[in-house]
Amino acid sequence: MIHFGLHVSRAMFARVAFAACSRSAQCCTYVRSCSRTVFTLGPSRGAVLRSLSSDVFENLALEDWLHNNLDLSEEGHALLLWQNAPVVVMGRHQNPWKECNVGLLREKGIRLARRRSGGGTVYHDLGNLNITFFTSRKRYDRARNLQLVCSALKAVSPRLDVCATDRFDLLLNGDFKVSGTAAKLGRTSAYHHCTLLSNTDRRALSAVLKSPYQGISSNATRSVPSPVMNLTDQDPALSCELLITAIAQQYAHQYCLEPSIALLDPTDENTLPGIRSTTQEMLSWEWVFGKTPKFDVSVSLKVADAIVTLCMNVKNGIIDTCSLELPATWPYWEAGAELQSLLTGSRFCAGDAKLLSSSLLRSCPQTDGVQDRWRDLCEQVASLM
Amino acid sequence: MAMRVAFRCVSANFAAALPLRSRVVPQPVYRLSWPRTLTTSSPLSSALKFTDKHEWVRVENGIGTVGISNYAQDALGDVVYCGLPEVGTKLNKMDEFGALESVKAASELYSPLSGEVTEINKALTENPGLVNKSCYGDGWLIKMTIDSPAELDELMDEDSYEKYIKSIEN
Repeated sequence: MIHFGLHVSRAMFARVAFAACSRSAQCCTYVRSCSRTVFTLGPSRGAVLRSLSSDVFENLALEDWLHNNLDLSEEGHALLLWQNAPVVVMGRHQNPWKECNVGLLREKGIRLARRRSGGGTVYHDLGNLNITFFTSRKRYDRARNLQLVCSALKAVSPRLDVCATDRFDLLLNGDFKVSGTAAKLGRTSAYHHCTLLSNTDRRALSAVLKSPYQGISSNATRSVPSPVMNLTDQDPALSCELLITAIAQQYAHQYCLEPSIALLDPTDENTLPGIRSTTQEMLSWEWVFGKTPKFDVSVSLKVADAIVTLCMNVKNGIIDTCSLELPATWPYWEAGAELQSLLTGSRFCAGDAKLLSSSLLRSCPQTDGVQDRWRDLCEQVASLM
Repeated sequence: MAMRVAFRCVSANFAAALPLRSRVVPQPVYRLSWPRTLTTSSPLSSALKFTDKHEWVRVENGIGTVGISNYAQDALGDVVYCGLPEVGTKLNKMDEFGALESVKAASELYSPLSGEVTEINKALTENPGLVNKSCYGDGWLIKMTIDSPAELDELMDEDSYEKYIKSIEN
């Protein structure tokens, strides 16, 4: 058994590598118990896990699966380390149109996901490390977990000025956020997860986390924006790989575990039965957009020299009521009722709105710029979504 | 007296067969069964009944009002959002029916009974903190019909719940 001291030099990390096992061996075994799958932890009652995937939906499903299936009795606990390809991740009860530029995400091919935990909206890419601490409800302790992360950071970068706030953020140099926290309390178990900015694309982060949408009123939970920094801005050695090793070692040391990381494939239905359907749920429109708390949209759109007022009430991502007010001089005015009726009951979704409008535009008179006006209006309506 | 002793033996044997939570559940099960013969705990009673997940239900005129207990609201911290189901949603006992988000975490809500949602507490939209301030009063979450009154007998009364809290705190 290799013991890791708290102050290990960086050179030692390179030599004393963590033994990564590609099958769940000493630290945890997969056991089927009654009708429920139970992932039991070995005698040490703890494990360090790492996901092999960078797909946010697979990783969120993996986290959910572990939360539901890990046997955390007798003070069991586990750590999961994971990273995602570029994605914006919202909290459980948030409104994507208030939190980010949904249109820009679509344009850039950046995915949008909704967590099961609370909290605010964050941007992940491969320069960010996600850390999940699984415990029983009783042993849920965010401060202790963040203290572990700080200890791990200081072990590899002793002069690093990093500390936790009372909102459970981690600040670098007292001012810049390098980590945000969210959590979920389940029936008997809980998890606390946090981000850790190693070398994230900050320009992309700022661009996508700015909402351009006006006129939305909602009681969805709001993010608290903070200035951020990358750990590598302060210490270039703090890559994600180094952070993974440091945090895994600190965890193993603190909880007297075997120094090994079990690698998990979130697409492996044999080891993780039921995980595929959870992945499908996490990427479904019904979960990502449909879980948005109900909200109202009220806007005045300028089309040529006219003002058009549009009010919509959106429930479960569906336009529940819609009222469109066109000025009396608006050409082909009667189509207003048709557009209103098309939108009512349809998804609050740019793609859907464009499809519906195209059928309306086909019936529009081709004279005197009438089509152009209607096209402009329809495009503006779609751009609200 | 003899009957009480006999009952205790029976429930102890019964408890031994229960999985995992047998250390905690036996006392409440015993206490629920025996007092029923002495007092009326029929569905028309407006006494509070509790689940081991810290939800309560109060039945009046065949409608159950559901909320979370003081222990739960204290553990959760300040509630910032209540995610509740639509009226008309059909729930089975133990179904997840919504979630509360607090400064501490998101926490799912589980239905204590089987029935249909008849009303949700709209006041919580503007004022989710009512769940903390008045968890047994104005901070109620949903009202529902009761498909199976026998399910109420599986819940804990106030005394049993107090004892349950003490046992899990240790």
